[in-house]
Amino acid sequence: MPHEYEVRNEESVLSENMETVAAPLSGGGGTAKPEDAHGAIDIKAVTHEFPGNVLAVSDANLRVRGGEFVSIVGPSGCGKTTLLNLLAGLIDVQTGSISLAGSPPKAGRHDVAYMLARDCLFPWRTALSNATLGGEFRGVPKKERVQRARDMLRKVGLSGFENNYPKALSHGMRQRVALARTFSLSSSILLMDEPFGALDAQTKLQLEDVLLDLWTEERRTVVFITHDLNEAVTLSDRVIVMSARPGRIIKDIPIPLERPRSARALQKDPLYHEIYAEVWTWLEQGLNGGDDG
Amino acid sequence: MDENNQRWMKGDGLYVLIAQVVALALFLFLWEWASRERIIDPIFIGQPTKIFAYLYNGTLVDPILFREAFWTLAATGAAFFLGIVAGILFGLLFVVWPVSEKFFDPLFSGLNALPRIALAPLFLLWFGLGLGSKIALGFSLTFFIILNNTIAGARSVDTDWIVLSRMLGANKATTFFKVTLISAVPTIFSGLRLGLIYALLGVIASEIIAAQRGLGQLLTYLAGTFDTNGVFAVLFFLAIMSVILMKFMSWIEARLLRWR
Repeated sequence: MPHEYEVRNEESVLSENMETVAAPLSGGGGTAKPEDAHGAIDIKAVTHEFPGNVLAVSDANLRVRGGEFVSIVGPSGCGKTTLLNLLAGLIDVQTGSISLAGSPPKAGRHDVAYMLARDCLFPWRTALSNATLGGEFRGVPKKERVQRARDMLRKVGLSGFENNYPKALSHGMRQRVALARTFSLSSSILLMDEPFGALDAQTKLQLEDVLLDLWTEERRTVVFITHDLNEAVTLSDRVIVMSARPGRIIKDIPIPLERPRSARALQKDPLYHEIYAEVWTWLEQGLNGGDDG
Repeated sequence: MDENNQRWMKGDGLYVLIAQVVALALFLFLWEWASRERIIDPIFIGQPTKIFAYLYNGTLVDPILFREAFWTLAATGAAFFLGIVAGILFGLLFVVWPVSEKFFDPLFSGLNALPRIALAPLFLLWFGLGLGSKIALGFSLTFFIILNNTIAGARSVDTDWIVLSRMLGANKATTFFKVTLISAVPTIFSGLRLGLIYALLGVIASEIIAAQRGLGQLLTYLAGTFDTNGVFAVLFFLAIMSVILMKFMSWIEARLLRWR
């Protein structure tokens, strides 16, 4: 069955992957979607070097279809965040090319939303006011953005907390507000940099379910950076494994789990653990630089 | 903290208060006694009962303390206001346009290093014995405090907030006014509290050196006529006035920064 992704720097790895993963995304995963240029991302032969000859990303090739949820995992310092920042337009592309929905990356694009590991709530704004921030900056009429933010806060389980300042919210609640802020934007592409990285295991599971619900409802393109393999497998249509620095994409693993999913329910699914083990094996190879992959 | 601990804390607070009142009463008694018995010459230390008599007369009978305080406070308010406006404007200018900081650096570094009280004779020459010279000296002290705090506050803005604002589509002006400036407010406010104290300090110092009206001028007059009780009364009045000003600033801060 043909896959719609490309990993050109490790073609042999990719072809092996096609054989080992029994049910690819467009198959029995229950997420089959037509190829959608709206929100599609194309990364072609991207290499990025920081001053001092620090090669962060090496010859990365990746295609993400519109509405697809893709996680990128890899050892610390392997260039995951660099890749995301390149997509976000926060770093200029040096070599290769990137296109998001057909145009090059640019910070502040209205069709791209970005979520950091920290909630980054403004302490002087209430939960509602924080959730409306993107709409305010993007010139969305007040009534519309407030309505949208209220709706999102309700969906993330924060009804009744709209007028609370961040200091009066728990860590998990703050991250829910950040999630509401991100989803309040009507951006078709979401770039998320370890958004649940600082949360405890239980809160993380809750928020993964919230994210799954929001994504299932709106089907936006998501590129999700994480260290947590459980999280990557739970949420994604595909998991991209990167090697240790210089970061190369060594494996692209489709996740054939049925949707809609529940982070907690998946813990009891044998297929989930099987996929987890596979991702883990590739990550271990990535730790060794991925040369044997 | 459990209930028992809270009870102990409350008990401690009460004991401390009782101890403070007893210590103060003892101190005033000894002071009164030493003065009455001329163990120490009252010319140097005054006498508590006479100090309170001066305070009573100066506030309730013939309110000279309030009249003079009006001039001191008017000058302090003006110096403080000008210090806030200029300090914040220059601070923001330096943050937005760092070249301007380099341009002004030699002048401002020199002025900041100068003991500002030394400028008083010049201000008296320029602005006379009225409000002008007092305001100028108060301003010269307040300005640099607020300037430095504004720069520190605006430069310490969380870089993740700036990245997020950029990604959310904010332009530079929006980011500056809605993120950088607001995030600097707590630091600016701590500068304001200090700036107010220094504005009062500058005004009182100017009045002591030479002025027509004000508590500092009254202080000089009383000291010159060896009215030590009057001097202590004015000092006591000034201390209360300063505490009220600080409480007022804390009240404004608590209202404006209730999100903290």
